[in-house]
Amino acid sequence: MNTDEALAVQATGLGRSFGQNRAVDAVYLTIPIGMIFGLLGPDGAGKSTLIRMLATVLTPDTGDATIFGHSVRRSPSRVIPRIGYMSQNFSMYPDLSVSENLNFFATLRGISRAERKPRAAALMSAMGLVEFADMRARNLSGGMKQKLMLAATLIHQPDLLLLDEPTTGVDPVSRREFWRILARLHREGKTVLVSTPYMDEAERCSYLAFLSDGRITHEGSPADIKTVVPGTLFELATPQPRAALSAVTGTPCVRSAHLFGDVVRVLWTGDSGGARELTSRLIDVGLSVTAVRPARVDMEAAFAFLSESERLNEVARQ
Amino acid sequence: MKAALTRVTAVAGKEFKHLQRDPRALATVLILPVLQLLLFAYAISFDVKNVPTVVLDQDNTPASRQYLQTYLSSEFFDVLGSANDLAQIDQLFDQNKVRIAVIVPSGFAHSLGLGEKAQVAVLTDGSEPTSAQLGQAYAIALNASYSQRVVVEWADRQGLDLAQAGEIEPRLRTWYNPEQKSSDFLIPGLMVVIIMIVTIQQTAVTLVREREQGTGEQMTVSPLRRGELMVGKLLPWTLLAFADMLVIALVGIWVFDLPLRGSLGFLAASSVVFVFSALGLGLIISAVASSLETANIVGLLIAFLPAFLLSGFAFPLESIPTPLQWLSYAFPGRYMVTISRGVFLKGAGFSELWPELAALAAYALVVLLASSLLYRKRST
Repeated sequence: MNTDEALAVQATGLGRSFGQNRAVDAVYLTIPIGMIFGLLGPDGAGKSTLIRMLATVLTPDTGDATIFGHSVRRSPSRVIPRIGYMSQNFSMYPDLSVSENLNFFATLRGISRAERKPRAAALMSAMGLVEFADMRARNLSGGMKQKLMLAATLIHQPDLLLLDEPTTGVDPVSRREFWRILARLHREGKTVLVSTPYMDEAERCSYLAFLSDGRITHEGSPADIKTVVPGTLFELATPQPRAALSAVTGTPCVRSAHLFGDVVRVLWTGDSGGARELTSRLIDVGLSVTAVRPARVDMEAAFAFLSESERLNEVARQ
Repeated sequence: MKAALTRVTAVAGKEFKHLQRDPRALATVLILPVLQLLLFAYAISFDVKNVPTVVLDQDNTPASRQYLQTYLSSEFFDVLGSANDLAQIDQLFDQNKVRIAVIVPSGFAHSLGLGEKAQVAVLTDGSEPTSAQLGQAYAIALNASYSQRVVVEWADRQGLDLAQAGEIEPRLRTWYNPEQKSSDFLIPGLMVVIIMIVTIQQTAVTLVREREQGTGEQMTVSPLRRGELMVGKLLPWTLLAFADMLVIALVGIWVFDLPLRGSLGFLAASSVVFVFSALGLGLIISAVASSLETANIVGLLIAFLPAFLLSGFAFPLESIPTPLQWLSYAFPGRYMVTISRGVFLKGAGFSELWPELAALAAYALVVLLASSLLYRKRST
């Protein structure tokens, strides 16, 4: 028993290198029980490596983490029954059917023969997989594959779910359905650590950590994260968004700029009158402007800002 | 313990399902071995008959002529004629007209008359090792039986009973395969080679596939231990390879009249141990290979080359270079070829072959341990 039993995850100085590459540097992380904890960060920030270390799949080379008080380094066998890990890529047997896959992993997880069938049936019905029970996993659609993996992750009723970009490459309808299932699991008292590249999903988390270059640089509730964004956010509507983006990038008082759908989002750190100033800058280079309007800072903007400022810091360090 | 058994059975059952759903793999395992056996046993033949031979009689006595007569009456040698001198023999070799030359030097009859060992030179064409080697063997056999007869005749004249000398002849027969049938010699070895090829290739990809599919990672986050995974992976293949061995043995016995002189039980028990060690070798490849392609290629190399060259199946291990002889101990083939030939042809059993069996058992244990250790190293 450990005093940290009340915490689902506590990582202290967790790190891991692959050769010269320091994938995760020194991560300090606390996740209380019952949270949906979102892990954000650009590609290559170390999200998967971090999750794999917490899942005991990868051994950290520095620091340690405890899951419900048990060290992932020293007692992985105590951690394993409490967690369900879903990797980024499809990790079921493509030549086995949905129910065969579930049955196999249920058996490995030590679930008794009597209980395997009802549990698999319950999960399949919760995931809407019942009619696909006898279908080979390779023939499932992307969304169905993710749900099969989630079902396999849940088969031993773990308390903590470690989900590595569970909805990447899945259509929007399936994504929404997947999150409805997650919300239900959360209500049932499960703790969820989920990494995602989708900002609408980040908004649904109770707490977020922003990972950059193997370190957590910002964390807080979605509202907290948004407040780190300085200045005013403008959306420029223009027939030539790409040309407009390169025209404003790097000009004074423009902290960052990126494409958002067919508008250009500009983070303006100058004083009031930004809208007028941006319009004239575009007209000066011969571009037409349909509208310039201030926008509410959302997760998308916050993520773009955080990624951009980390990149700038990196450039400054070098 | 019971939980571990459940997990091992789960893995084994899953492997069977994979196999069942992969017709190509299934054909490789069930049909290929028999095809290979028929192909090899019919195509590769070390039967050598009518080797072109020239004789040179420098003694030119009744004794020397009588001696050379044994070559003329042998089916193995096709005596094309007599040479006049050594230079002509050289020429015949260069022109590839003969493969063997038998030279009886002068003084042959004289030595025999004194009861001494008579010298006879047998030259063989080394560029064709099989007939050269066999030619040598036959010549020695002929010599032995001939000189035996001389000794016996001589002993008879002296009124002595040399019963011991007469016993040597049947031994010569067995050793030199009087029916000149190479399938007897080949099939017990071929069985080992085929099993090695089939099993190593199949298991070489099995762990890599788990890793590439991500299912290996899912197994890591389960109570399944690596050793359990290895055993679970091996069980179905052991069963199949064992069935293969049985089929090959039966085809050998029924189709090729292979004698089974020893105990089938001992052969079966040794086969299981051998299959385990071959599979373990495949697992080692699988544990360290970085991709499916690598595993396939390395599996192919490890399966084919040592199986053919280092098992003693085709080439006597004594005739390969010493470093390769040492290397041959690192592959399970040589032990099993010895056991298989011993049981089939010599009627040998545990009391003669236990060192090979012990070596195989140790080998199996080491490769299984090594594969699970190496697999752990790779995955973390």
